[in-house]
Amino acid sequence: MNGAGRVLSGLAAIVYALILAPIVVVVALAFSADSFILFPPSGYSLRWFRQLAGHAPLLNALWLSVQIASVVTLLSLAVGVPAALALAKGRFAWRDALTNFFLAPLLLPTLIAGLALLLFFTPLRLTATLPGLVLGHMTVTVPFVIRMMTTAFQTLPDDIEAAAATLGAKPWRVVWRVTLPLVTPGLIACACLSFLLSFDETVISLFLSGPRAATLPVEMVRYVEGRTDPLIAALSVLLIVATLIVVVVVERLVGVARAVGK
Amino acid sequence: MSYLELSGLQKRYRDSVAVDDVSLSVEQGEAVALLGPSGCGKTTTLRMLAGLVDPDRGAIRLDGAEITRLPAHKRNMGYVFQSYALFPHLSVARNVGFGLEERGVGKPEIARQVEEALALVRLAGLDQRRPRELSGGQQQRVALARSLVIRPSVLLLDESLSNLDAKLRDTMRHEIRSIQRSLGITTLFVTHDQVEALTMCDRIAVMDRGRIAQIGSAEDIYERPATRFVASFVGRSNVLPATRDAEGRAVLWGETLPVAVPASGEFDLFVRPQRMRILPVSEPVSPGMARVHGRVLRSVFVGDHVEVLIEGVGGQLTVEMQSGSAAPAEGTEVAVAWPLSDTLPFAREAA
Repeated sequence: MNGAGRVLSGLAAIVYALILAPIVVVVALAFSADSFILFPPSGYSLRWFRQLAGHAPLLNALWLSVQIASVVTLLSLAVGVPAALALAKGRFAWRDALTNFFLAPLLLPTLIAGLALLLFFTPLRLTATLPGLVLGHMTVTVPFVIRMMTTAFQTLPDDIEAAAATLGAKPWRVVWRVTLPLVTPGLIACACLSFLLSFDETVISLFLSGPRAATLPVEMVRYVEGRTDPLIAALSVLLIVATLIVVVVVERLVGVARAVGK
Repeated sequence: MSYLELSGLQKRYRDSVAVDDVSLSVEQGEAVALLGPSGCGKTTTLRMLAGLVDPDRGAIRLDGAEITRLPAHKRNMGYVFQSYALFPHLSVARNVGFGLEERGVGKPEIARQVEEALALVRLAGLDQRRPRELSGGQQQRVALARSLVIRPSVLLLDESLSNLDAKLRDTMRHEIRSIQRSLGITTLFVTHDQVEALTMCDRIAVMDRGRIAQIGSAEDIYERPATRFVASFVGRSNVLPATRDAEGRAVLWGETLPVAVPASGEFDLFVRPQRMRILPVSEPVSPGMARVHGRVLRSVFVGDHVEVLIEGVGGQLTVEMQSGSAAPAEGTEVAVAWPLSDTLPFAREAA
């Protein structure tokens, strides 16, 4: 390794340390035996995990978040995949304009989106309701799905679909038998990421949540506003582990699907 | 009316003309090559036939029925892509059976026909493999079997051999030709390789800038090229700038040649190097032969022949001698002779 390589590696190590340090702190706190946040903890125990198991508001919020994220993911794929297919493969006027239009929400600060949704949903009585939260999250996940799947569809060689057509497959059969199977790895990754996006969504949820419908991030924000014990740290560790499992499973699935596909 | 008729096909893209005006009649069971350099519109023509590209103008008729606007999946054309375009997620058997499945053929019948098709392309026993587990030549055969098994009205081959190495290409050329003949299947074959066109097809359509420059048998195209483009694209030629004397005869390197030449404008004489012979300066030639003088610059041994480069007063030319015959030593003064009937004058194109 030459000098420049060593300097770059050193810089990379510093950046990683900066990113990972807070997580190390959170993990240490999760196993704290203290009654309040103290770093380093004076002793270690599993008491905050036991406490979490009996904490109804957080568990309810977790369940709500899982439900919302699942529905959001299914609906986003149902809406986004056909849209992406049309944008990637279709030939029609205004295609480029539409592509940009669908991607625009990705550039909009979620703070503004949240405020706009609140103003828009209030007269419709959609705030603090499950449909309201689902629709709110979809303003983030649908553009994301469209973007990711448009790329996935565009990178498919056109000839393979053309071959299916010349062999007598009707357009929807081409999509069903060739296009979708070939983008399956992308589809799985896309589904998992939009689940995580929805699960993690805080800003829009803060605007749209009410006392009866609070997602997990919202409930966590509320909790740390009032309390200073390591309960949230314990919850965070569980979320980190769950996320890691999802990422590893996706990596495995997508890897396996690739191996089977090509 | 012929089995397959293309009339006045045209396809323009935003800033270019891919196919300008293509008309072509193909008889049932005939194999026709579309031969031309890249960008001449041959692949676009083939794609219009398959329904993969919409023509802007013109019509396609198949067996008396107009199919110009028919979508690809209703045309029943077998298309073998340059990239093979096999379905990577399906086994060889499912790839080959794809068209039959889409037609709702029963499972046992599909299995029987797939087996038959794989035997035809000599791939029996590989039916459970995935495309990526096959060599290029095997993938090519799968693509061919997949197109043949649907009993297509027309088989369309798009540069189908260009991704294979030279030896395999040779084998596949003969195999495809013999399958085509034995099934009596009407075939259009797009290629930029003249050997492919000459050996695999009954007729050749040479394409140039979106039009058919000449259509005819391999011999027609080679011996009697209709345009300067065809003469220079098919086979090799010496292109010899010549002038006109007072009586309108061609003058080349100071010798007068009694061949018909364009009435006006600059022109070149095209002569195939293997039609030329090297003679001692003293040896006379019979009437009906052209003859010029020059000096041997160098000889290059190419294996099956020897190329002798000769310089004369008007430039250079190459003579192709059979290997085995002794090439004259460098610097020797020689005469070069060839039949006048092999001298093809073409006007020089405006640059």
